[in-house]
This record gives sequence, structure tokens and C-alpha cells, in this order.
Amino acid sequence: MTLTALEGALLLFVVGCALGAALLRDTLASVMSFAAYSLGVSIIWLILQAPDVGLTEAAVGAGIMTILLLVALANTVTPDADRLLEPVNVRTVLLVGTFVLVMAATVPALPAIGDPSSPVVGGEVTQYYLDNAYEQTDVKNAVTAVLAAYRGFDTLGEAVVVFAAGVAALTVLRREVFA
Amino acid sequence: MIPLQLDLLTTHYNYYAVVLLLGIGLYMLVESANLVKKVIGMNVFQTGIFLFFITLAYRTGGNPPVITDGGGPYVSPLPHVLILTAIVVGVSLTAVALALIVRIYAEYGTLDEDTLEQLYYD
Repeated sequence: MTLTALEGALLLFVVGCALGAALLRDTLASVMSFAAYSLGVSIIWLILQAPDVGLTEAAVGAGIMTILLLVALANTVTPDADRLLEPVNVRTVLLVGTFVLVMAATVPALPAIGDPSSPVVGGEVTQYYLDNAYEQTDVKNAVTAVLAAYRGFDTLGEAVVVFAAGVAALTVLRREVFA
Repeated sequence: MIPLQLDLLTTHYNYYAVVLLLGIGLYMLVESANLVKKVIGMNVFQTGIFLFFITLAYRTGGNPPVITDGGGPYVSPLPHVLILTAIVVGVSLTAVALALIVRIYAEYGTLDEDTLEQLYYD
């Protein structure tokens, strides 16, 4: 797949929103920028033919995450809005820039986007799931089949993490909740 | 040796976006003095990794992995499953981090990293 105008515009939008979240001084503006970022990312998932991930990202990433951040802001402070943007620290930019350059140097070694012979798409595991998911699980959506059947223990672990996080958050907030 | 070449940009564009998002997330984690913005930075970093996985699963002309008669080719379902799990785990992580932040504010009255450090050493 070559770069289309829509994809290019979306990627620019997403990176721009991330920069906005990083540089805006007001925390509320930063949270809003991050919400727009999540929404842009969920549209990218749709373009990459991952509707399940897109739905989850829109509901959980753009929805619940924004609500959590807003509730946290409502219970704390936002910094003084004495200026629009944070000052940029050159030393940190150099450090992060080095990291980005090293990572970017590895990009040419990756298969082109959408290459049917890439190890992930053309691999045995993918082919097994696509060939057998419906027969073995009676579920037409291969993502659901893998999530709930083949990797069911993984999903159980995920549920345990969510439970543990709920317990941890309530424990930490104990004084506020039961005061 | 310049990592960014124009022909690569048209075939590997998502991977360059991944690298940029990882950089922005890292910058926020290191540089933001406000704890809430650090959490946002962690999420930006995570989403960069998600973009890497979902891009790897993509196949030109592929359909979403919902099996129908003669519906192929499909994109790979496995990375989608891994990222679905990762999104939910990421939200749990954010919830705990924000709970800690609310508690820190109740205890110290500030969310500024430098002020917190001073309070700690006083």
C-alpha cells in the first residue's frame, strides 16, 4: 500500500495532536488534544482494517481515558495559564532526537506496509487462525475467536489486571472515598 | 546513512509515525513537570507501539478478519487481539496512575515535579 492523501493527513493530524498534548501548558488543553489524538488513531485502525481495535480505541481510549483524565483534573489543579506553550528544553530534545534517529534507522529493515509475504501476514500462525477459527470455534470473527478461545488465558489475565487495578485505585483513594 | 529516504516514506510511512510518536511520548515522560501530562505521555508512547503492531498486521487489499465464503485475503487477526488486550491494560494502568496523582495532590497540594522534589528533601 502506498501513502494516500487521507492516510497522510491522518498521520499528520495524529502527530500534531501529540505535539499539542506535549507542548500546551494548560493541562485541560493537553487532555483535549490527547482526546482528539485518540480519535484520529481510531480512524487509522479502521483504515488498517482493524475495526475491533478501532471500536475499542474510540470507546476506551478516547472515551473512558478522557473521562478519567478529566476526573483527575477536577480533583487536582491545573498549572497557571501564564503562557500558551511550555518552553522547549534543548537538552531533552537532543536526547529524544537521538532515540528517534536510532529507531528510524531500523525502519528500512522492516517489510513494506501491506506486503503479503511479511512474516506476520504470511506466517503460519495467521494462516492457521484464518483457516481453522470458524470450524473450531463457530465464531466468524477471527479476532473474537483468538481472543476468547485460542488465547482465552491471555484474556483471563487481562481481566485479572483490570480487577487488580480497580482494587489498587480504590485502596489508594480510600480516604477520599470513605471520608 | 540518512535514515529518512523519500521512497521509504511512501512504503514505510506508518513506521516513521511510530518513531515520531515514541519520541513525543518519551519527551513528555522526561520533560513534563506536571504529573498528569507525564501520564498522557505514557499513553502517547503506548499508542505508538500499538500503531506498529496494527501496521504489521495489515495486508494490501486485505479485509477485516471476519471469515466469509470467498472473503479473503484477510489481515492478520493475532496482532489485533494483542493490542485489544494492551489497550485495556493501558487504561487500567492509567487509572491507577491517576488515583496515585489525586492522592499525591491531597497529601502535598501540588502536582509539579520540582516542587514535590523540594518538599521531599525538606
